[in-house]
Amino acid sequence: MKLIKKQIPLAIVLVFGVLTLVSYYVPHKLSVDYIETMNKWENIVAAFAFLLGLVSLFFSHYYKIKRKADGWGYSLFVYVGFLAMVIPAFIWHGKQTSELGMTSLGWAFRYIYNALSASMFAVLAFYIVSTAYRSFRIKSAQAFVLFVAAFILILGKVPLGQIIWDSVLGWTGQGVDQVIEWIMGVPAVAGKRGIMIGIAIGAIVTSFKIIFGIEKQYMGKD
Amino acid sequence: MIKNKLLFTLVLSLLTAAGVLSAPAAGADKGNKSPAQPPITGLTAADMPYDVGGTVLLAWDALASVPPGTVYQVFVSSLETGGWIKAGDYPADGVKPSSEIELPFWAWRGSKTRSALRVEVGELFAYKVTTERKSALCLALEKSSLLRAILSRLQGQGLFGGAGKPEPYTRVIEYKDGIPLNFKVVAELAGKQATAVQVKGSTASNWFRLDRLNNLLLLIVIVIVFFWAVSHAKRKGLFIRRIAGLDAIDEAIGRATEMGKPIYYVPGIGGMSGISTIASSFILGEVSQKVAQYDSQIKVPHYDPIVMTVCKEVVKQAFLEAGRPDSYRDDINFFVSQDQFSYAASVDGMISREKPAAVFFMGYFMAESLLLAEVGATSGAIQIAGTDVESQLPFFFTACDYTLIGEELYAAGAYLSKEPMLLSALKVQDFGKLLVMVSVFFGIILVAVGAKLHWDPFIEVILNLFKAY
Repeated sequence: MKLIKKQIPLAIVLVFGVLTLVSYYVPHKLSVDYIETMNKWENIVAAFAFLLGLVSLFFSHYYKIKRKADGWGYSLFVYVGFLAMVIPAFIWHGKQTSELGMTSLGWAFRYIYNALSASMFAVLAFYIVSTAYRSFRIKSAQAFVLFVAAFILILGKVPLGQIIWDSVLGWTGQGVDQVIEWIMGVPAVAGKRGIMIGIAIGAIVTSFKIIFGIEKQYMGKD
Repeated sequence: MIKNKLLFTLVLSLLTAAGVLSAPAAGADKGNKSPAQPPITGLTAADMPYDVGGTVLLAWDALASVPPGTVYQVFVSSLETGGWIKAGDYPADGVKPSSEIELPFWAWRGSKTRSALRVEVGELFAYKVTTERKSALCLALEKSSLLRAILSRLQGQGLFGGAGKPEPYTRVIEYKDGIPLNFKVVAELAGKQATAVQVKGSTASNWFRLDRLNNLLLLIVIVIVFFWAVSHAKRKGLFIRRIAGLDAIDEAIGRATEMGKPIYYVPGIGGMSGISTIASSFILGEVSQKVAQYDSQIKVPHYDPIVMTVCKEVVKQAFLEAGRPDSYRDDINFFVSQDQFSYAASVDGMISREKPAAVFFMGYFMAESLLLAEVGATSGAIQIAGTDVESQLPFFFTACDYTLIGEELYAAGAYLSKEPMLLSALKVQDFGKLLVMVSVFFGIILVAVGAKLHWDPFIEVILNLFKAY
């Protein structure tokens, strides 16, 4: 049992992990074909897994409705929404437009799905404002630095801010655009690169842990 | 009559001569305006090194000055004579010396006196073939006379019209490396051409990226350190610095238990092949174990069905290890949507309605990070986030109580499990960072010294060593 549940999966991870790693240094067509095949397999597995997800979605909402759990009414919309998209998709063979113009599937995409998606994205603007307000509360020296940098950036991005900068700090000979360029190009990039280097090294080590079977939590412990 | 004919011929000759003399000397003028094309010499065709194949590198002696507007026309043929196919037009100002090919000094020796041009021939020699493909029904019909009779009867009634007939099938025959090819380069300017001699060459699919040797050596060093650290961990304990965000996990779960409210664990929108999602599944295992021990409640909404399947196993195992398999429910992990904003909207709705005591955001996040974290903050939940997407980190910093930055997310599984083998890998991360810091420090000094003393080749060597190819 251990052979099937542990050793064989670990051997598969090791073999395919090493092969994928080696393919980075081998430009041969065989190597390219191997990567392409792996990607195809991943897509096939993902397609089957999607069915699994769909079943999970339906069951979890079915039980919510059955138990009359809090907010069970929303669960009904899962089925309504699903049918509202799937039935037109079957009728029109997945086409959003036909010779007659927009199909009901296309209409649903444009006027329901896209509208809802855009609304959700638009909400982000309000959240950014409230987050900015929270981050501008100066509680420490670091928060003060953050506030100053953000304030200069905001100032430089609006015409009124540029006028204010020129009239108040114009004597320094430094335009607000130059200051913004420096902030974005020097301290911001330095911090970003530091994080990116850490992430890259962490990713390499995590990959090794998985390839060499040191980390095997994802398949359950012994 | 003859006299008239002679007169007509004479007048015509005079008119023709006058026309010729009065017309501008087109050829001569053209020759004066556009200089004569110097011939291309020393043409060679070699395989482009370190590539997948299908590309040839043409090189010829660089001309001292190329007239502006010159275009190099490259022709290729697989035949001994004729059969030329135009591979492309390349403006002369875009053709660089072979020394400017972006390859490191240990893998390539270019020359400033040779012009080089990469020409892809793979697509030129690929072609389509249309054949007939027999379906399974077609093959079955060939073998069974009974099936043939049934089908012909059905077709007689107007049913299954085209069934059982071979279908046209088009496939692409790809170019194969190694075929000897002839190349010629024609320099053209305003219709005037200077043809180079014909050369032979072929392409090859290479087995090793010598240009990535620096990367390979670094990899080997890290692998050696990795195994050394793992074997070292078995012998001795290791000191690992405190990570506040991970220490707060106990606090968050305790709070949820006291309040009798659920914990939301959001694994992000990454696939299972993403390192951050894998790291997230490790953390989920540890969090679930604690949730099982405290007899609290956890909910894991998913964006990716594969991640959901893996996480189901992880949570199940965690409950089993905590000695609470009876508390495990299959609906702890549930699929929401594979659309970014639908997922965010759904999870936001659940957080707003249920007001969880704690929310974990661990994994790969994009624009939905703030949509989720801000709603969580408004609901009053204690929030712990971790991601390796540096563009989303500021949002988590401002909206969450604790944030794990990139590598801390990767280290979290090891930190929480306290297994020596896993903890040892953190030392490798530290070693990697040390290596980068030392390289950056000495790299800056060496390049600065080189620039000051105008040692251009020296600077190029240093830059080549640290460049990714």
